[in-house]
Amino acid sequence: MTGRPPFVTADLLKKMMADYYARGNEARQRGVPVVWVTAVFPVEVVYAAGLFPYYPENFGAMAAARKVTDQLSRAAEAQGYSFDLCGYARCGLGDAYASEHPVGAIEKPDMVFCCNTQCGSLPKWFEAAGRFYQVPFFLLDSPMIQSTPTTLGRLYFIEQLKELIDFLEIRTGQTFDLDRLAEVMALSGEACRLWNSILDMAALSPAPFGFFDACYHMAPIVTLRGTREAVEYYRALKGELEERVAKGIPAISGERFKIYWDHIPVWPKLRWFADYFASRGALVAVSQYTHSWAWSFDPSRTLESLAENYTEAFINRGFEQRVQMKIDFMRKYKVDGFIFFSNRSCKPNSFGLYDKRNVVSRRTGLPGIVIEADMSDLRFFAEDQVKGKLDVFFHQLEQRIGGAGRQ
Amino acid sequence: MAVNQYLGEVLHRFDKVLEDPLEFIQQYKTENRVKVIGWLPADVPEELIHASGAIPFGIIGHSGGYSWADAHLQTWACSLVRGSLGLALQGKLAFLDGLIIPHICDTTRNLGGIWKHVRPLPWMENYLLPRQVDRPSARTYLTGELGRLKARLEQCTGREITARKLQESIALFNQNRVLLRRLWQWHVSHPGVIGNRVIYNIIKSAMVIPREEHNQLLMQLLETLDHMAGGEEVEEGCLRLVLSGKVWDPPEIMNILDKHGAVVMADDFTTGQRYLAGDAAETGDPMEALALRQINRIPFACFPTARYDRRSFLAELAGKNRAHGVLFLHLKYCEPENFDYPDMRAAVESAGFPSLRVETDVGNLSLGQLETRIEAFLEMLRGRGTE
Ligand code: SF4
Ligand code: SF4
Repeated sequence: MTGRPPFVTADLLKKMMADYYARGNEARQRGVPVVWVTAVFPVEVVYAAGLFPYYPENFGAMAAARKVTDQLSRAAEAQGYSFDLCGYARCGLGDAYASEHPVGAIEKPDMVFCCNTQCGSLPKWFEAAGRFYQVPFFLLDSPMIQSTPTTLGRLYFIEQLKELIDFLEIRTGQTFDLDRLAEVMALSGEACRLWNSILDMAALSPAPFGFFDACYHMAPIVTLRGTREAVEYYRALKGELEERVAKGIPAISGERFKIYWDHIPVWPKLRWFADYFASRGALVAVSQYTHSWAWSFDPSRTLESLAENYTEAFINRGFEQRVQMKIDFMRKYKVDGFIFFSNRSCKPNSFGLYDKRNVVSRRTGLPGIVIEADMSDLRFFAEDQVKGKLDVFFHQLEQRIGGAGRQ
Repeated sequence: MAVNQYLGEVLHRFDKVLEDPLEFIQQYKTENRVKVIGWLPADVPEELIHASGAIPFGIIGHSGGYSWADAHLQTWACSLVRGSLGLALQGKLAFLDGLIIPHICDTTRNLGGIWKHVRPLPWMENYLLPRQVDRPSARTYLTGELGRLKARLEQCTGREITARKLQESIALFNQNRVLLRRLWQWHVSHPGVIGNRVIYNIIKSAMVIPREEHNQLLMQLLETLDHMAGGEEVEEGCLRLVLSGKVWDPPEIMNILDKHGAVVMADDFTTGQRYLAGDAAETGDPMEALALRQINRIPFACFPTARYDRRSFLAELAGKNRAHGVLFLHLKYCEPENFDYPDMRAAVESAGFPSLRVETDVGNLSLGQLETRIEAFLEMLRGRGTE
């Protein structure tokens, strides 16, 4: 990240996100319900209903990036919430109880919607939040796909989307407009397509954009997909990246290695990691995490298409499929090695990584390590240990490549 | 005297099985040439396994071997799952013909893939339970999922599960639950005869001993107890407790409660009341009956239900049983319980029941410390007066 000119779109991003949060306040004043949703939730339904979707996980990530997870978590711990829980949940619950709000108060919901494609922590957190704020909780349940998607699972999800729409109609007193849903899905699909093509640029050598950039620029694809702003934003970002490619401005100077990272970043140490990798001439090119939002919707089959996209996310797949998806990314982006992040906050992304590391190495011949940390809470970050592991990993990479860089 | 001696013998039979459930079931398997299908807690429909001609075997209560799992599963997974995987890694479950893992939390959701990778069994299935149980979609889906599991079981055992067979199995398991509930009443009214450890051991043994035999044993036991009727009644000065959590491990907890004069009146454990409460209909479509039983079970951290808030359920349970206090027994790293706990505690305490939470990491536990804490809690309850 050293020495390159800042992104012009970064200012646009700041403004867009500020507007987004301001809209939340406005919505409340105008009596538009604020709806909590999860990152992998068919938010298209919420936008189509004209409600304001709010992402408590973003709040958690923000608190983590500003290194205040422990402070907020302590407020939750004082209520009896264990510090073994997901850090995002601890931040969200902690802020609800806290008297000080170091990242601004979390937006109060009028309804909490959750999809458990991602994990079982979110439904428990949202359920607790529903009790705290005394608002209704709706769970879109997505049983795991063991190997190939089943009709049973898909129909179950579609049924629940219908139940969700009924629920919204009753709560808002307004008829849900399926045509509007198709429009939102088209916008969402367009933003996802752009996002995907931006992520793909990390496969170029040298690449203008990598995982750490993606972590920075992902806010709109999470919160604003389904809106015109998101499409415009990613169009602008893509344009800027193409310019950078033409001008030869790389993401890091002297790119020698490409790395696959799994999964989320260690938010409070984002800079530390980015600098470490840059100093090694390594570009973290790809992660399943940022690809979570690279969906492709078919607005002519609204509910079916939502069901397919939201249930078939990688995190809802079995061991073998998830291994294969990782390998596909590694091949596509031609990485030289991989790092799996065993994230104490996140069981669904972490359990199984030890064995997956071995399988992936065996099948691809690539070196890989597992590091232990927490995405948000620095109480579970041992810098020396992490650095020690990374040093050994890069030593191995250097040896393989003979210090000459990639062929 | 003779009655007491007989009682002792029956009880001994249950304990004996639990001393080494693996040894017991392997011997049974060899002698009877049956298939054995293991299951992990909770909520696996044993009736379905039984109707396929196999013996359902609950992988519950094991000690030691946790570090075997270290290379495959982080230390911050609950000890229940780490212990089960540890058993498999030591080769101690190689005799199983199959295994069913219910998806009730993120840990169980990820366990199957790891297990299949490191110690594959000839047949392995996940039971993909619906996690919302309030809306009509849950029932339709669950009936379908049970159908899928049934078809897979048929492949495993090579035997068709007819509606009739399944109904017979349901009747057999209902009978077991009825008997267990009767015995539970005995425990509650005569804790000096059927103490905490005894009753919980008997419940656990149901997950190990083939159900036909277990029912026989229970009937003998109840008959003997009925002869003793009018014997010891609830002792004076006994503390009445309600327990809450996923499982009642480590078992020594129950000995501690016995020793200090506390009687468990009710609980919501998946290896306790959740296991015995509620029967499946013996008429009509048996698959629907199993689905309905699942959907109507008592509240549990893994399946929130708006119909019956777990907080009020627990507070009411304590009220109905005139409990002196509530003891939360949680396995460390059990996320669903960790999320429920603060509000549950608030609910029971505001209903007037003092509570204590004990977090147990089964592989790494100091029983001495545990006893000290529980003893102090019981002393405190006693200090408030036992009536
Ligand atoms: S970090 Fe993991 S456990 Fe936490 S909310 Fe996200 S997916 Fe769930
Ligand atoms: S004890 Fe908790 S974490 Fe462990 S398997 Fe059961 S529900 Fe999951």
